[in-house]
Amino acid sequence: MTNQLVDRINDALRVVIDPELGHNIVDLGFVYDISVVDGGAVRITMTATTPGCPAIHFLKEGVANAAARVPGAGPVDVVMTFDPPWTPSRIAPAVRASLGFAAVN
Amino acid sequence: MIGASISRWTMSYFATALAWLFVALALMVAGFGYPATHLASPDTLVLVHVVCIGWLSVAMCGALFQFVPVLVAKPLFSEKWALPALSLLTAGLAALLVGFLGLGGRLPAWLWLLPIGAVLLIAGFGLVVVDLGLTAWLRPVGPARFVLAGLASLCATAAFGAIFAFADAGWAGSIGQSVLTTGVPLHAIAGLGGWLTLTAMGVSYRLLSMFMLSPDVDERKSNMTLAAGALAIGVAVVGGVVAIWFVSGLNVVLSITAVLGLATTALYGRDVIGIFSGRKRRQLELNTRMAALSFASLAGTALVGVVLVLTGAFAAYLGAFAFLAIFGWLSGLVLAKLYKIVAFLTWLETYGPVMGRAPTPRVQDLVSEARASKWFVIYYAAVWFGTLMLMASQPSAFRAAVAMMTVGLIGIVREVIRTRRLADVASPVRLPDGACAPHLLFARN
Repeated sequence: MTNQLVDRINDALRVVIDPELGHNIVDLGFVYDISVVDGGAVRITMTATTPGCPAIHFLKEGVANAAARVPGAGPVDVVMTFDPPWTPSRIAPAVRASLGFAAVN
Repeated sequence: MIGASISRWTMSYFATALAWLFVALALMVAGFGYPATHLASPDTLVLVHVVCIGWLSVAMCGALFQFVPVLVAKPLFSEKWALPALSLLTAGLAALLVGFLGLGGRLPAWLWLLPIGAVLLIAGFGLVVVDLGLTAWLRPVGPARFVLAGLASLCATAAFGAIFAFADAGWAGSIGQSVLTTGVPLHAIAGLGGWLTLTAMGVSYRLLSMFMLSPDVDERKSNMTLAAGALAIGVAVVGGVVAIWFVSGLNVVLSITAVLGLATTALYGRDVIGIFSGRKRRQLELNTRMAALSFASLAGTALVGVVLVLTGAFAAYLGAFAFLAIFGWLSGLVLAKLYKIVAFLTWLETYGPVMGRAPTPRVQDLVSEARASKWFVIYYAAVWFGTLMLMASQPSAFRAAVAMMTVGLIGIVREVIRTRRLADVASPVRLPDGACAPHLLFARN
């Protein structure tokens, strides 16, 4: 049941995009962890490309909004972290190719 | 704080700056100031201050109100100071320009307007320096150090300018007259080299890394670049003041400054090449491609400067040298980044609040790079052609080149306005439920 809720939340987060890269944050590998505790409380740990970027506040709010709309989800807590920092290796391979990223790096 | 907020008045600064740029280009097309009159003439002073304060400084301040918080990941010391600062800068510049026109006999000689303009400008820049300085000082690392050095140079530039203004009004005594007679190169070096160039270099490090997803420049390398640049400005300002005091001439000071300035340019070039070669996004966006043309213009400026000094012709071609630095390097970079910053901030303002609730477009969907690129190419081609025409002493062809620059600028501004109005965003995602169309001239936050 909990795993199904995590999967539904993961799918719901695809509505949130990184405005600069233009793809959803799940395929970009921004979502580090989604955990659901008893009672449905959701904790999402995520990152972004650049600390200090003005988009971060909106990404965090967007993730909270999208997760809270999933049936069965309780209160949502979003934690933004830059440890470990995001790297393009986290991007889904098909998306990485479409973005024209270097194979190395 | 891990994310900066949207600066409310950055768009107002950009709009004001672009309006002054149009004024400057119109004056040049009309044959006002250099090359029709000499470089130190009151008409040329009008032109130079419209460009350097009205266009470049106002645009730079607007960008810094948004990006200093990004550079240091701290909130701006005071958001409330941005609009009063813009009002003071606009009023101060207007007073200064009327004073210059009086100096040249085009208006009644109300020379008291010059010190009044200087005081208003110092008040406006003072608000900017304190606001940005206190913000950057909270975490003075990497590019923020360039901004701090730039702000210190702005203080020196304003101090020289104020002495000149009081001296022109006859209120600065014999010392003021000495500074006015000898110190103009120091004012120009502190303003163009310190305030505008060092700040542009610092901001460009961050913007290039952000938009190309490159690793930040190695701090040891950027510190070396900054040290050379700050030393160049320090030698010019401190050494220049000492030289004026002892009436020993500025040749030695200016020679040392030139060598250090050349070293700074070379080190900056090394850093920028490092950012480009380390980028993770292989496809370059228009703003980055056009910024590369401004880097080429900076390299060209340095090369022209070296050749002119070695051939003993620097004084004769100073106008062409300054034109390429101001319109190729500084203005080109500001226009390229302004094009991107407007799209990015417009996206955040419009679609940020509805993220997670509705599908949203990408930043790239707000612009049409294919359409905009031709206006940038026209602008840069015109700047380079204009530089050549100045060197060839062809004033009519130079005015034609500036007219071509104006055409390019009109195209770029039209694209920026279309971005602000979401004119290129496809209708299904243009304004999702809950999203508000942005105001053209300020952010609604």
